[in-house]
Amino acid sequence: MTSQNHKTPDKVIEVTDLVTHYGTRKILDGMNFEVERGEIRVIMGGSGSGKSTLLWYILGLYKPTEGRIKVLGEDINQISFNEHLKLKQNIGVSFQSGALFSSMSVGENVAFPLREFTDLDENTIRIITRMKLEVVNLGGFHKLMPSQLSGGMIKRAALARAIVMDPKLLFFDEPSAGLDPVVASEIDDLILSLRDNMGMSMVVVTHELESAFKIADRITVLDQGKNLLTASVEEVKKSKNKRIMDLLQRRSRHDKLDPEEYLRRLTQENYTLS
Amino acid sequence: MTKLTQKVENLGQMTVQALERLGFAMRLFWDSFYWLIAGRKYKQRLRFSQVVKYIKSEGVDALPIVLMLALVVGMMLAIQLIYALEAFGAESQVLLAIAKSVTREFSPLITGIIVAGRSGAAIAARIGSQTVSQEIDALNVMGVVPVRYLVLPPLLALIISMPLLIIAADIVAIFGGALFSVTKLDMSISAYMVDSFNVLVVGDIMQGLIKSVVFGIIIVLVGATTGFYVTNGAEGVGKATTTAVVVSISFIVFADMIASFFLTK
Amino acid sequence: MKSDLINFEKDDHHCTLFVQGDVDLSNSSELRKTILSALKTSPLVEVDLADVTYIDSSGIAALVEGLQYANNHDKSFHLKRLSAHVKSIIELARLDQVFTIDD
Repeated sequence: MTSQNHKTPDKVIEVTDLVTHYGTRKILDGMNFEVERGEIRVIMGGSGSGKSTLLWYILGLYKPTEGRIKVLGEDINQISFNEHLKLKQNIGVSFQSGALFSSMSVGENVAFPLREFTDLDENTIRIITRMKLEVVNLGGFHKLMPSQLSGGMIKRAALARAIVMDPKLLFFDEPSAGLDPVVASEIDDLILSLRDNMGMSMVVVTHELESAFKIADRITVLDQGKNLLTASVEEVKKSKNKRIMDLLQRRSRHDKLDPEEYLRRLTQENYTLS
Repeated sequence: MTKLTQKVENLGQMTVQALERLGFAMRLFWDSFYWLIAGRKYKQRLRFSQVVKYIKSEGVDALPIVLMLALVVGMMLAIQLIYALEAFGAESQVLLAIAKSVTREFSPLITGIIVAGRSGAAIAARIGSQTVSQEIDALNVMGVVPVRYLVLPPLLALIISMPLLIIAADIVAIFGGALFSVTKLDMSISAYMVDSFNVLVVGDIMQGLIKSVVFGIIIVLVGATTGFYVTNGAEGVGKATTTAVVVSISFIVFADMIASFFLTK
Repeated sequence: MKSDLINFEKDDHHCTLFVQGDVDLSNSSELRKTILSALKTSPLVEVDLADVTYIDSSGIAALVEGLQYANNHDKSFHLKRLSAHVKSIIELARLDQVFTIDD
């Protein structure tokens, strides 16, 4: 155990009875969620299950209606704005779309947090930036602009920016969405080696089963704004819960195709779903 | 009947939305100055180089078009005023009329409109596309206050460069007036210029400068607010850009009238 | 020059720096300065990292800067006795292939 870990609490995330609304619609409904130090936690669930919403609230982008959110031991809705800003420097986020700053090169994107929050000199910043790009296998690509990158490269550049401050906690939204299987699997390996070598705790939101089974220590399945199940990969695979089985088998709604109904869907002018 | 209630409802909704945005813009203004002063303490430093960059792109780069239009407006004023004043045999007053109207009214207004079209649109487009691509969210989760990074620098840049643009526009517009008037008045251009500056009092120049700072603030706040409220992807960004220009020009004209009323005694 | 972070042993031909504890943003510049000044006076500088409990990227960057300086000035810069944590961080960036690492 490294001494840095002494400074990180045992539970890096504690969400208690979280209720959130979007307008008048309830999105999260009494959510409970905990992540332990050094763990890779995968959050799964169908669209509308609230998995992205949970992420946004943990990151403090919105204020909850009810409930408590503790991140790295701090209640993010109790601490002052400036304490929260400081806390955020210990947290890395890799967005689904990458969210790289389009006006900056890849290198400038990765260096950005260092320039904003540290007093390191340019030579040191350059070395750290290039080192992080090496870690994500983008060595030598620092001069490219985000618009010149492929999907997989964007994810990796975003990951390099997310880890440049050596965060204790890393969030990864849909790491493999829209990537071909080979590239997706490379990203999974990267996630594993970051945890193993840097001791980061991670929360990964994904809908890719294969990736989830590969990287997760535990999986949390969300359904209708609630934590349906949190369990190890093996337990999730064995689960008899119908919703979880649906999710695992990805039962398509086209399984039972009614040819006549289908033809009507294609051809009728005023067709509406009954 | 339902159509009417629908319309009333829409009107109500639009009013609420407008008020919400007005509040948001006020908040941006307040936050900008809060971070200007408190920024150092919380590692949210304002970057001087960023302000310089914006002074270049929003002030210096606007100079050619501002000067060109100022020249044309000065000439146009001379043509109209000489025509009107001739009726009273008071052509000699054209010098005074141009000097006063240019410094107090025309050069701030023209500059305001041009800068609204350039910078207001640019700010709305920049912040709008960053909102759409989650770059604002990325700043937020990193712990960079977006206002400090995206609004404060252009705000300071315009507060600094608008008065400078106005002074340049004043001189060129009076020169434009001189070009047309000197033959009628039978005097040299240099004598005309000197006389113009002699008839001006500090209050005339100040009125223009105060207005220009207010216009600069309006342009940045309107641009940023419409940018932050963008939804609907690229199409939304396009709409926001148009909205930012139309709204900021309208506000500028209203603010101009109010300022003229209170500053002219 | 004695601190909680770095101790050193020095003879005519080489200088060994013993680093201990956490190396992070708060003290990596101290490590960097010590390495660079040691390289100015000794032809061979070794950095013993056995007692380093944590090192962040700025600490690793300080080591890279040491190597950069040594290579530019015809000196030798070695790392020695990496702690498990340091080793894993150095391997993550594949820097084990760049540094000369002694046991």
